[in-house]
Amino acid sequence: MSSATDSRAGTQRAVVGAGKRRAVVGAIAAAGLASAALLSAQGQLTLPGLESLELLGRFFSHALRPALDYGSPFVPVGAPPLLLQVATATWRTVQLAVAAMSLAVPVALLLGFAGASAWWRLPGPGGRAVLRRLGPLVYAPARVVMTLARSVHELLWALLFLAAVGLSDTAAVLAIAIPYAGTLGKVFSEMIDEAPRDAAVQLTGSGATAAQAFSLALLPRALPDMAAYTFYRFECALRSAAVLGFFGPETLGKFIRLAWNESLYAELWTYLYALFALIAVSDMASRALRQRFLGETPAR
Amino acid sequence: MKTSVDELRRTRPRSRLLRAAAWAVAALVVFSWMSGDFGLEQLGGERRLANLERFTGELRPWPVQQQGGFDAGSTADWRTVYDWAAALMADGGSKALASTAAIAVLASVLAALVGYLACWPAARNVARPAPFFGGPAVAGQRRRLRLAHWAWSALNHSVRAVLLFARAVPEYLWAFLLVESLGYTALPAVLALALHNAGILGRLGAETVENMPPAAARALAAAGASRSQTAAAVFPSLLPRLLLYFFYRWETCVREATVLGMLGVLSLGSLIRDARAGNLYDELFFYVLLGALMVLAGDLLSALARGLVRRA
Repeated sequence: MSSATDSRAGTQRAVVGAGKRRAVVGAIAAAGLASAALLSAQGQLTLPGLESLELLGRFFSHALRPALDYGSPFVPVGAPPLLLQVATATWRTVQLAVAAMSLAVPVALLLGFAGASAWWRLPGPGGRAVLRRLGPLVYAPARVVMTLARSVHELLWALLFLAAVGLSDTAAVLAIAIPYAGTLGKVFSEMIDEAPRDAAVQLTGSGATAAQAFSLALLPRALPDMAAYTFYRFECALRSAAVLGFFGPETLGKFIRLAWNESLYAELWTYLYALFALIAVSDMASRALRQRFLGETPAR
Repeated sequence: MKTSVDELRRTRPRSRLLRAAAWAVAALVVFSWMSGDFGLEQLGGERRLANLERFTGELRPWPVQQQGGFDAGSTADWRTVYDWAAALMADGGSKALASTAAIAVLASVLAALVGYLACWPAARNVARPAPFFGGPAVAGQRRRLRLAHWAWSALNHSVRAVLLFARAVPEYLWAFLLVESLGYTALPAVLALALHNAGILGRLGAETVENMPPAAARALAAAGASRSQTAAAVFPSLLPRLLLYFFYRWETCVREATVLGMLGVLSLGSLIRDARAGNLYDELFFYVLLGALMVLAGDLLSALARGLVRRA
């Protein structure tokens, strides 16, 4: 009898849930249509002319024949062979991304631990009530700092650095490291807060201090997810480092822009394929490691 | 007691792969810093510090600077700041804000349409002669079946390769190529954002399809439903997860849409670029803050929507 009622309640909930989901999908579709209407009212969705499609066609027609050597008759004296140039630009991209991540991750760990509220909510022997009151004094400021850092795009940080002190390589590292520390820190703190707390509660119940419970029972639960997310962000850092080349550093983006401006499409594809290979390799490496950790890829 | 701890430590599971990877990462970090030109002096120096001082001084709104800052005796107050900000908003700011939001929404909707269609042939359990049934192809099959197996596998791999390429190229780079060739309107910006995110949503969607509990799909397939019929039938059960991914990507679309303007498309980025070109650092700072606020609003809205989907 009761199980029948349960199942009926379950079905009812499922039906209500489906209705809500349908409403969400409908809202998304409506927002998409409204956006299209707004943009076309601003005259921004005009179809491109034949000329520009030809240009795009010329670009894509070189996809299957990337350059292995310079195509332009005007090659600067002393320029390295094209493939060496591509390799150098690729390495510069890796270098910038690695440097930025190696700054962002430690800072994100500090901010992420400070920003997690799980630490303050762990039950324990006497005095925890005071700590629970104190918690917000630590995690609220940490969360504000992370929010400020990540809500400004890395290219905008680069632009601010460019205007203030010039976009040197060091400034480029910071431009990526600041928003990445914010994003990584936010996700780290969420992962710590969302980790299953059963083991930590057990440990404090049997007399472990909060620090012991945190480091032995809570943190190991969150660690695989945190590692997987760090790998994913490294892939993003590679892309950001490549794009930052548009603003000065000699990464892949700089050479892609130069090749486009001189209509050297075959060389452009060589640089694009170098970027593609870089991302593909890091994707495969991180997937191999992730499978060791998790057996599944993370949601973000 | 001590020995047993030592024994536990000795016999703990260890992975050679993880250990090698840790060493490789450490070496890469050290080598990157050593070989690169990353000195702190690049941030200092007399000329740079003078520039920095001018820059920070000029971040305050222009009327406030004119009236002597916020010091005692100055006539500037919050009213001055408000009027200045309102004038900037009326003078293109709100239009750029609306355009940025519209680009982000339209691009993510297009990305979802393309990505969530492409995820089916990209899923390994769908693109095979016997869809939704696991296990390797039986050895010694008839030739026709082997051929079908090969054809499905070719389709699967090519869709995956296209999705990988679409997401490997950053949205800013796609936007640069498309804007430069199709003109300085929102259309190429939308297409660029949609392309990159379709690559990501297609891959995440394929993983969702591969990881779903196979019972329902197998029952349908065994009862004679076609691939597309089965896919349509199981789609609602995958929807919550696909919606979560959609909102995560929408958040990043909002972030990216603000900067795509720097390529010349109307969005907050174009105002930021113009302000930088004219050395109007107060306006630059205002639009950067406006962009940050917009990103925060997007995150908040997305978190609310994800909560709704999770609870549904």
